[in-house]
Amino acid sequence: MENALEVKNLHKEYADFILDDVSFSLPKGMIMGFIGENGAGKTTTIKAILNIITSYTGEIKIFGLDNRENEAQIKEEIGVVLDDIFFPEILTPNDINNSMQGIYKNWDANMFYNYLKKFLLLPNKQIKTFSKGMRKKLEIITALAHHPKLLILDEPTSGLDPVARAEVINMFQDILEKDECSILLSSHITTDLEHIADYITFINKGKILLSKTTNELLDKYGIVKCGEAEFKKIAKKDYLKYRKTKYEYEVLVEDKKAFKAKYNIGLIDKITLDDLMVIMIKGEE
Amino acid sequence: MGFIKKDLAMIKSNFKLLGILLVVYTIMGLLGQMDISFILPFISVMIMISTFSYDNYNKWDAYAACLPNGRKNSVRAKYITTILMIMVVAIITIILSFIISYVNTQTINYGQILVSMLGTIFGTLLVLTFMYPIIYKFGIEKARIGIFLIVFGVVIIGGFIVKYGDLSFAIKALNFFENYLVIILILLTIIMVYTSYKISVKIYRKKEF
Repeated sequence: MENALEVKNLHKEYADFILDDVSFSLPKGMIMGFIGENGAGKTTTIKAILNIITSYTGEIKIFGLDNRENEAQIKEEIGVVLDDIFFPEILTPNDINNSMQGIYKNWDANMFYNYLKKFLLLPNKQIKTFSKGMRKKLEIITALAHHPKLLILDEPTSGLDPVARAEVINMFQDILEKDECSILLSSHITTDLEHIADYITFINKGKILLSKTTNELLDKYGIVKCGEAEFKKIAKKDYLKYRKTKYEYEVLVEDKKAFKAKYNIGLIDKITLDDLMVIMIKGEE
Repeated sequence: MGFIKKDLAMIKSNFKLLGILLVVYTIMGLLGQMDISFILPFISVMIMISTFSYDNYNKWDAYAACLPNGRKNSVRAKYITTILMIMVVAIITIILSFIISYVNTQTINYGQILVSMLGTIFGTLLVLTFMYPIIYKFGIEKARIGIFLIVFGVVIIGGFIVKYGDLSFAIKALNFFENYLVIILILLTIIMVYTSYKISVKIYRKKEF
């Protein structure tokens, strides 16, 4: 399968943080959820992909092209929604439309205004008069209105109430149905991703912990809940991490069927991305 | 073009202020009061510098970096919009000066008005030439202190030279160039602004947001 985005051995060092050997790929037409706690390296990775930060090592290919050598060409085809990064708030949606017409070759003013109407955003109001949810919607509309082939969204639903979040998620699904588009979506609100993401990439402390299809993760992975005596019977190679709660042990296993066949102990729960994140970060090996 | 439209949209709310200043200038001129024509182009530059603060507040620079040719065009737009603004304001001021001169004296002193406005444009572009690379390098917040120090330093050094230095050589040189002064000034301005633009682009290309 052709990849929309390929990140290989991405490395960037700050005084207090290292993005270490980050690699993953997003196949064309797919949605990848990029998860991790705050400060795990999601935004830094995204900034490197977009060349907002420049001094990193490693290889980043978008649509098969090097992201630095073919930057202008690539950026015609990318739409971005970033956390707290946008047009100055004294501007209006009308101003954004006028500017973007001169910036993107494919800018679709009709689409832009149709979405503004759909989401009840007034074109002649300054951005600063909009609520947080309205701003986010405007950012998303702006990212979509040049028919990008790759959408890079950094926390597009953070700070939104559940209704606005559902609307935003629906927008992405709507777009995916119409355009052949791939999406990299970073979020720490993992429930959003369980419904729409085809792939999950999990980053922690600057390192990729896993990158798999959502189905594989949710169907194969499991959490075994058992007592201490049962836990002690489990060989170390048969689980990834475990966590001791007040009443029981929670043990993360990579293949719950295989585990069940081998051990037949405890209760095996289906995993959620939230569980996975917590146990991977807080659990012991 | 899109980036210029964005910058123009940002300063459009200041057009009213400029309009009022032009009216004040005309009234003062007609009343024979102090000539404030030199202030107007300087105010245009100040208005443009305020756009850097708005950009900074909403982290526009990082967003611009995600757009096609965003870094280069963003810098280019700032220079073009500023120069455009200075020129438009200067031309309006010149026309108003002609009118004021005619109403007051029944004659128009073309030479004096043009030369004084040319000096103003040169001075204004000098501000742009030095300030923009500093703003791109250090960001608008830090640049403010830098700009203050530079202006302060230039005034102190200038004052020192005028008071204690031997300026007879400079005066001789000026006399020599007098006939070519306008052309030299124009050429110098173009070279200065272009170099400043190139430096700004170079700084901005490498910048991380």
